[in-house]
Amino acid sequence: MPDLLIEIGVEELPASFLTHALASMESAAADLLKAHRLQAEAIQPLGTPRRLALRLAGLPAAQPDREETVQGPPWSVAFQGGEPTKAAEGFAKKNGVAVAELKKVETDKGEYVAAHVHEKGQPTSEVLAELLPQLCERVRFPKSMRWGEGEHAFGRPVHWLVALLDGAVVPFEWLGLTAGRTSRGHRFLAPGEVELGSAASYEMDLRKARVMVDIERRRARMEEALAEAAKKLGGELIPDDFLVGECVHLVEEPFVVPGTFDEVFLELPDEVVISVMRDHQRYFAVRAADGSLMSRYLNVVNTANDPERIARGNDRVLRARLADARFFVEEDRKQPLHARRPKLDSVVFQRKLGSIGQKVERLANLAQEAVAGAEHVHLEDAKIVQAAELAKCDLETLIVFEFPELQGQMGRFYAEREGIDAGVALAIEEHYKPAGASDDVPTSVLGAVLAVADRVDTLVGCFGIGQQPKGNADPFGLRRAALGVIRIALEGPLDVDLAHWLDRAAAVYATQGHDFAKSRAALDGFFDGRLKSTLGADYPSDVVDAALSAWREAGAHSIRDLRERVDGLMTLRGTAAYEALAHAFKRVFNIAGEHAPGELDDALLTEGAEQDLAAVWAKAGGAIDAATAKRDYATALELVATELKDPVDRFFDDVLVMDEDEALRANRLTLLARIAHSVSRIVHFHKLQPQG
Amino acid sequence: MTFQDLILTLERFWAEHGCLVGQPYNSEVGAGTFNPHTFLRSIGPEPWNVAYVEPSRRPTDGRYGDNPNRLQQFHQYQVILKPSPLEIQELYLDSLRALGTDPQKHDIRFIEDDWESPTLGAWGLGWQVWLDGLEISQFTYFQQCGGIDCKPISGELTYGLERIAMYLQDVDDVYDLEYAPGVRYGDVFQRAEWEWSTYNFEKADVALQQRLFDDYEQQVHALLGLKAEKGKGGKLLWEPWADAAENEDAPLKRLVLPAYDCVIKCSHYFNVLDARGAISVTERQRYIGRVRHIARAVAEAWYAQREALGFPLLKGAAAEAAE
Repeated sequence: MPDLLIEIGVEELPASFLTHALASMESAAADLLKAHRLQAEAIQPLGTPRRLALRLAGLPAAQPDREETVQGPPWSVAFQGGEPTKAAEGFAKKNGVAVAELKKVETDKGEYVAAHVHEKGQPTSEVLAELLPQLCERVRFPKSMRWGEGEHAFGRPVHWLVALLDGAVVPFEWLGLTAGRTSRGHRFLAPGEVELGSAASYEMDLRKARVMVDIERRRARMEEALAEAAKKLGGELIPDDFLVGECVHLVEEPFVVPGTFDEVFLELPDEVVISVMRDHQRYFAVRAADGSLMSRYLNVVNTANDPERIARGNDRVLRARLADARFFVEEDRKQPLHARRPKLDSVVFQRKLGSIGQKVERLANLAQEAVAGAEHVHLEDAKIVQAAELAKCDLETLIVFEFPELQGQMGRFYAEREGIDAGVALAIEEHYKPAGASDDVPTSVLGAVLAVADRVDTLVGCFGIGQQPKGNADPFGLRRAALGVIRIALEGPLDVDLAHWLDRAAAVYATQGHDFAKSRAALDGFFDGRLKSTLGADYPSDVVDAALSAWREAGAHSIRDLRERVDGLMTLRGTAAYEALAHAFKRVFNIAGEHAPGELDDALLTEGAEQDLAAVWAKAGGAIDAATAKRDYATALELVATELKDPVDRFFDDVLVMDEDEALRANRLTLLARIAHSVSRIVHFHKLQPQG
Repeated sequence: MTFQDLILTLERFWAEHGCLVGQPYNSEVGAGTFNPHTFLRSIGPEPWNVAYVEPSRRPTDGRYGDNPNRLQQFHQYQVILKPSPLEIQELYLDSLRALGTDPQKHDIRFIEDDWESPTLGAWGLGWQVWLDGLEISQFTYFQQCGGIDCKPISGELTYGLERIAMYLQDVDDVYDLEYAPGVRYGDVFQRAEWEWSTYNFEKADVALQQRLFDDYEQQVHALLGLKAEKGKGGKLLWEPWADAAENEDAPLKRLVLPAYDCVIKCSHYFNVLDARGAISVTERQRYIGRVRHIARAVAEAWYAQREALGFPLLKGAAAEAAE
């Protein structure tokens, strides 16, 4: 079972290119092998910035023979008057058989020509020689480039090719290069050519040439060296997945060189120092045991023959960068944050929706209106307006222009230094939260109010102008915005009355001359989808559907109310009666769901079972409605289960609803309809699926 | 190594490696790329190897001579190798060795950095080169120039001379660099930095710059016979020559080089207006679009002219292949 090793030697590829290219190469290899009746036991991607490699382990020595009956054109087209036509000759030639060997087969569609094909399997090395240029051709990059004469495109210029089947070269040509066994070592530590022994010795041979081609091992070595270096400095590495992913593909063998910066720069916000180091220089930050940032950093490098010299050079660069950042912060602080507010009027938010300044106006109005009179929210209007007016001002500061990811954080920093109310300052930072699935929701009510207002404004506006997400395209991040609103309501300090917020947002847009009433249905549907997928991650989807449907019918107000319905139903779902109950109430809905719940006439209740049910309903109905009104859905559903289930079952067993007597029938439907009406205000049982 | 030794060493190195030693352009440019040695010669099939210093003006980067790292005029050393040879990275590393920098003793890395000049309608892929964390060069494979696909591809190496000199001389302030024996960089340029910063940020007459921009733009239209409006998909529209018989010769009648100087002027006045804070966010895009439009026109006119001349620098087999 031989192994194949292919390596494409290139000039330094960006980290994102490497990951992308290896993934495409791996899947192309699997496809091509399959198309050539070969299969590897394992496909292992390997690589550094200067090489893309795959090992196809455990290949067969040769292709299996191919035995197959191939169907061709209809018999009547292939043979006319007993003579073969061009169609028959073409088909025979294509499949490598003589015309005389063609057979007639019966199919559903009539008589067809068929050929029995027998093809001898080729040795794997020969198949590979044909297949490997195609594999190279199918490597994909986020962006391709041309070089030299400009004839070819690849992620970066290609310098060499290696293809070894065990110890033997698989000869092939691509881009004018001939594959061999000659690779290259580390650009600086082992410059020059490396003769590879075999596919199996690839890693070892290159390791001797100072190249770690196994990405996971290179990463592990780097992380180990980082942790060790941090410990030596008496601190702890601040983990950073982005930097790890970048740095591992900036080196062929990782070394860590620690460096130092002047402590005066620790007066800058930690975020600024970390961003300068990370974005500009790709340095890791280190913190002391007490959590404070240290004036040290760790630099992953590709060569470290003279670590002191390297550290000196890097220290100098970082000093200039931090001095720049300090200059920006000092300049920014020469004017108060609110001095940037007028500039926001000339920054475009969205062409049809106006400037960021106009968005800020809407945020102030929407946030005030949406929480006016809301229970548990006690915010001064003046604070809301101040927070909204300041929320976007840091976009016009030098430091955020330089480090866009510090938006919000810098606004808070400047506001705090100006002595602005701490709650307002916090809200400036928190209104961007959650920034993504892994980010926290705002902790303060004011931050949450502003965060919801910002997102609802974007959602209502973008749906209003027809910019809703289509397929994978979601340029305004509307899915993330909706998810943010839901997460703030479910995890944060503010419940969200969704219908109310959407109404108010549309009303605020109306004051700027927009009429977005028409897009509301699409937006409701969009939120339903987001709610289903959010809650669906934790709850069975039919339970979510049953609750969502009832919640929607009840006016779709509080997002927490929706989850309370789901929780109530989940409590019931744990009991033995659940299945039968769901079944019984589905029947109630199906029979009487459409019937108007009018007045019940006791005199027309003739059967014992219906008299019992009516009596139970008269006693329990009010309690169920009261529990529902209090959003105590677990109690309401428990009452349904304990009080109503048995009488309903007996009713269906003993009573014929569709009685011939129209008055009796209508009265029975009325009884069921009244029950259905009350129960359907809790959850929609008819949306539940029977449990497996 | 003094600042001028640095320049002389690079001149010598690249001359020995087959480059024509060019000269800075005599008009205000933002980068060596604007020099016709790069912008125009990167277009079309003719080979071209050139190296030159380019004093480059970035009005918004001015700091009145106060900042140890930022200048409104700095010096690039620009190398164009067309077609880019496969050993271009090694050549570049050899040039660092010639400057006395042993790559073995430092950490040299090629960090992804794609380059784009929206005003020139040019872009390329490549790296910034880090020497111990310091960006000392920009390394670009030109893919498009003036909206025209490059073929062959030019490899562009741009050295940041002040930065490299600061590294080599181990100084933290650019004005402390030794330019020539006994003469500091500050002696030569510090006053100029203050004057130009003051001019660019405070004194430049906005109405004058705007008028100059408009006039030079107009001049490009006139010199090339270009219509101000664009066709479908931003296509360039050309005025027919007055005399129909002359239309065939149009590529040779257009004054491409003076037109290109006007493009350079427009780009410069735009930069001054930008530094002066006289351009709003929305206007900015329009100005850039206007410069790109005339830069594309020059690029197309240049290509047509070289074609009409039979691409004179194509020799031997290359010329036959092109026919």
